[in-house]
Amino acid sequence: MIEVQGLWKAFGDNQVLRGIDLRVEAGTTFVVLGSSGSGKTVLMKHVIGLLRPDRGTVRVDGIEIPTLSGKTLTEARRMFGMVFQGAALFDSMTVLENVAFPLHERQRSLPAAELRRRVVAKLKVVDLGEEVLDLFPAQLSGGMRKRVSLARALIHEPRVVLYDEPTTGLDPITTAYVDDMIVAAKKRLGVTSMVISHDIASAFKVADRLAVLYDGRIAAQGTPEEVRRSGDPFVQRFLALWFEKQ
Amino acid sequence: MTLAAFPATFGRVRGLRASFEDFGQMLLFGLDALRWAVRPPFRPELILAQMAAIGVGSAFIVSTTAVFSGMVLALQGNYALRQFAAEGYVGGSVAISLVRELGPVLTALMVIGRSGSAIATEIGTMRVTEQIDAMETMAVNPVHYLVVPRLLASLVVYPLLTMIFDVLGYFGAWVMGIFVAAIPEGPFIEHTRTFVDPPDILHGLGKSIIFGGVVAVITCWRGFAASGGARGVGEGTTRAVVMSCIAILVVDYAFTLVSVGSGR
Repeated sequence: MIEVQGLWKAFGDNQVLRGIDLRVEAGTTFVVLGSSGSGKTVLMKHVIGLLRPDRGTVRVDGIEIPTLSGKTLTEARRMFGMVFQGAALFDSMTVLENVAFPLHERQRSLPAAELRRRVVAKLKVVDLGEEVLDLFPAQLSGGMRKRVSLARALIHEPRVVLYDEPTTGLDPITTAYVDDMIVAAKKRLGVTSMVISHDIASAFKVADRLAVLYDGRIAAQGTPEEVRRSGDPFVQRFLALWFEKQ
Repeated sequence: MTLAAFPATFGRVRGLRASFEDFGQMLLFGLDALRWAVRPPFRPELILAQMAAIGVGSAFIVSTTAVFSGMVLALQGNYALRQFAAEGYVGGSVAISLVRELGPVLTALMVIGRSGSAIATEIGTMRVTEQIDAMETMAVNPVHYLVVPRLLASLVVYPLLTMIFDVLGYFGAWVMGIFVAAIPEGPFIEHTRTFVDPPDILHGLGKSIIFGGVVAVITCWRGFAASGGARGVGEGTTRAVVMSCIAILVVDYAFTLVSVGSGR
């Protein structure tokens, strides 16, 4: 379970987060929706301890993340998997090496054959076959890179998976595929997922609950239906623009 | 000072403060790398890969620079010393210049151009494409994984390349001295034996180890501090090369002053 309480963060004069409160139940998918610059990625970086808040706290399965540092923070990060907006695959490594990386770093004594077997199994979860094992990230399409990134995030069987803009820059078919992948990862592996997105269609498809972030504050929070019925003017405008487009 | 000049002065003071802050952060980064260097897991495969990239990759350019530097030094030395009928001292003077100064300094400058810039670019690209953030989220310390192998490889490879430089530089001088300048080989070799002692060689190699560490920390730090996409990576690389070259000359002066004194 992820709990964010009264989270404030500024970079110089720029106040990015202004008292965020939210709660993600174990085994559910929570989407944080918002336009560019609303503070979504900053919020996610606090959850995994890449940033420290000015005020407030983040608890993941009871562990207070901002109080950790060094070895304890490294230990805590083992419960996370993260899919980055640009996939963030290591350029100099093959798909096999990329996906195996978190596992190899945790269990260096694991034989190469076993490592390969586990990588192949995780690639199967994201519908990729053995033929991609020896390819480098530059040889993959955008959608394939996202899938490899998800396989890498899942390889060590994390309790929490964080997705940073997983559908940005993808075509509609690949977007639908990535959405299905997020839902499937939750169902098959029972992970708690937190998705940062500005893609309203994807958000309503994958979310058990969602929050709309505006100007560093939560403008609305609840099930997709509750958010759709929110009286907040920004949420109404944000959703109306999308429904008009449809 | 007029009131109109105040914003410009204030801007300069702020820039100076930012430079000091950056320097301080780089020192802490270097200390952090040293701290991680003695912690497991040790990654010999990454250290060997970096030794190959820095050492083998730079061997050709270092060798070429060494041979031509030795040849030029021999010709210039012969030109100057012949006026005193002392051309027999060319071998010794070239050898002492190479092992104490030119070997370590020119080797470091060549490796900065060849491999230091590559390190800053590679790490800078990893920074702006979130690969370093990804590594952190996978509970792997990026300083431990990326900086330590480059630092340890540099500490080993710089003195090895300096030895190659010294040998090939002297070879270039010998060829020019004996076959072009027609210096008698006996005095050429004999004065080399007289001039160069093992402490001279160790002085040069000691310098090169320090140069390796300094360049590794600066180039890795500029990569880590890169921001803002391709342009930021380019600027980081340029700063890495300029800072490393200046640092080599400053450290060379400081090392020489401390080890041999002012000579008063």
